Amino acid sequence: MSTNTLQHFIRKQSARNALWSILGILVFIIFLFPLYWLLISSVKTDMEIFSIPPTLFPREITWEGYTEQIFGKYSILSSAKNSFIKAFSSMALSFVLAVPAAYGVSRFKIPGVRGIIVFFLVTQMLPSSLLLTPLFLTFSRLKLLNTHLAPILSVTTITIPFTLLVLRPMFMTCPREVEEAARIDGCGRFGAFIKIVLPIMKSGLVVVCCFGFVHGWNDLVFSSTFNTKSELYPMTSAIYSLMSEFGIRWNWIMAYATLVVLPPVLIFVLGQKYIISGMVSGSVKG
Amino acid sequence: MSTKEVTRKRYLQTDSGREMLAGILFVSPALIYMLLLIGYPIIYNIVLSFQDVTALNLAAGKERPFIGLANYISAFNDPTMPFALRNTFIYTFVSLIFQFVLGFAFALLFNKKFAFAKTLRGIMVVSWILPTTVTAMLWKYMLSPDAGIIDNVLISLGILTKPVGWLNNQHTALWGPIMANIWVGVPFNMLLLSNGLSTISDEVYESASIDGASAWQKFIHVTLPLLKPAIMSVLVLGFIYTFKVFDLIYVMTGGGPVNATEVLSTFSYKLSFRWYYFGQGAAVANILFVILFCVALVYQKIISKEEAM
Repeated sequence: MSTNTLQHFIRKQSARNALWSILGILVFIIFLFPLYWLLISSVKTDMEIFSIPPTLFPREITWEGYTEQIFGKYSILSSAKNSFIKAFSSMALSFVLAVPAAYGVSRFKIPGVRGIIVFFLVTQMLPSSLLLTPLFLTFSRLKLLNTHLAPILSVTTITIPFTLLVLRPMFMTCPREVEEAARIDGCGRFGAFIKIVLPIMKSGLVVVCCFGFVHGWNDLVFSSTFNTKSELYPMTSAIYSLMSEFGIRWNWIMAYATLVVLPPVLIFVLGQKYIISGMVSGSVKG
Repeated sequence: MSTKEVTRKRYLQTDSGREMLAGILFVSPALIYMLLLIGYPIIYNIVLSFQDVTALNLAAGKERPFIGLANYISAFNDPTMPFALRNTFIYTFVSLIFQFVLGFAFALLFNKKFAFAKTLRGIMVVSWILPTTVTAMLWKYMLSPDAGIIDNVLISLGILTKPVGWLNNQHTALWGPIMANIWVGVPFNMLLLSNGLSTISDEVYESASIDGASAWQKFIHVTLPLLKPAIMSVLVLGFIYTFKVFDLIYVMTGGGPVNATEVLSTFSYKLSFRWYYFGQGAAVANILFVILFCVALVYQKIISKEEAM
């Protein structure tokens, strides 16, 4: 190829790439527009929310939506506390239960291991409405309704299979020799798991913690069904009940919504690379 | 012989029985937890669906009489049931088609090697992890007749002449949750299909080009067949995740107006927790479960066939 045709080839290639970039950026902007709209509406005034045509950039910025949530009569602080309690507890519970289980199914020869994995895979696909009635009646008999425990226990049933399915392929690639060396140095099986295997798996563990937290944080149905006392509401239940109270004060609702999405979005932005690979393996591989 | 070697020898002598025991100890806490909180409720739900369970006989602590298929019969005779079934299937299939086509198109687009392709694709996934409650409210806001941006855009493009009021109109209400669900599901489809695309080597395309294949022919004869496993799992998983929808519809429309957006899960929820017909609620949830279970079985078949290949 002469230098001339090569240059021509490269120029054609980069022109095509530029075209693809423009299309890519366009898709990106349109697709994420709702998120922009959420943020921008949260700082608009009552008047501007209803202006026709709608303003893409707020003419006037007001923080009233936020100050009202924090200092007004619908204090967000107690529901934020409930959300954190729920998210952290279900994350910790599923970590303690599912991480050893993922190690167990990927490292040891257990009879019926295929069946156990299929069981976890199927549970991940269950509709939550299937569990609501039986769990409600059971929790009612155990006097667990209107406690934090009820939604925590329920939402963990979603997080455990997810954790297991994400970690299993990672455990399978973890070199066995390292554990064996630790065992020779006098560690028990559990000791080797804690001291040697878990530190190697750090990135995988971060992923499942992120997901555990986000699942617990995002849950609405278990909390609203099992906890009817407003002082136990997490932010998702609280914003749902405020929706009828605020009516069409969309700017206030969007301000509250922004505060609700903040933790999951932050987690997502910080751990994006790992989370995406975890998402793919957690949903396809059995 | 050093002590190290002795321990090593003893370790090598351990029988597979001890290995198995250790494995069981690692797995059993999670397994027991899941059997108690998933396995037991599934069975309990089946039992409930054959009993007469209402708030009345629950409060009185009375025996719950066994009533055979009566709950199923009254659920199917409920005027809401045809709406719930119809809407669940329409919602699922329409969402699935759009999610898949858009997700596939985006996967192909961001598979091109332009600057920031991977970063843009990665950030778009954010719509998938937002709390469904917020997604539902955001779309409700964007579709509202008074302040909704979507109607405004459609009017300024000349497609509409006046606001639709999507969620308040029986004929358009189901489109609200469908649109929101497409937005949530596209990144999921995009990621899994991108993952599949990345396993197809450039060489296959190169040899197709040498044979004189056009871009379209390459797509039909190379991309699609090689992507078949990924396409199948995306569609089945998408079906399962969409079919069991609850939060999105519960928050956006609550099933209304006049059953226009009622689906199986919201119908089951209303039976149990609004009217306290727990037996009937359990029956409807079971119908939902049986449909999903059949699809999950098909999915398992596909997966095991792939693994055998």
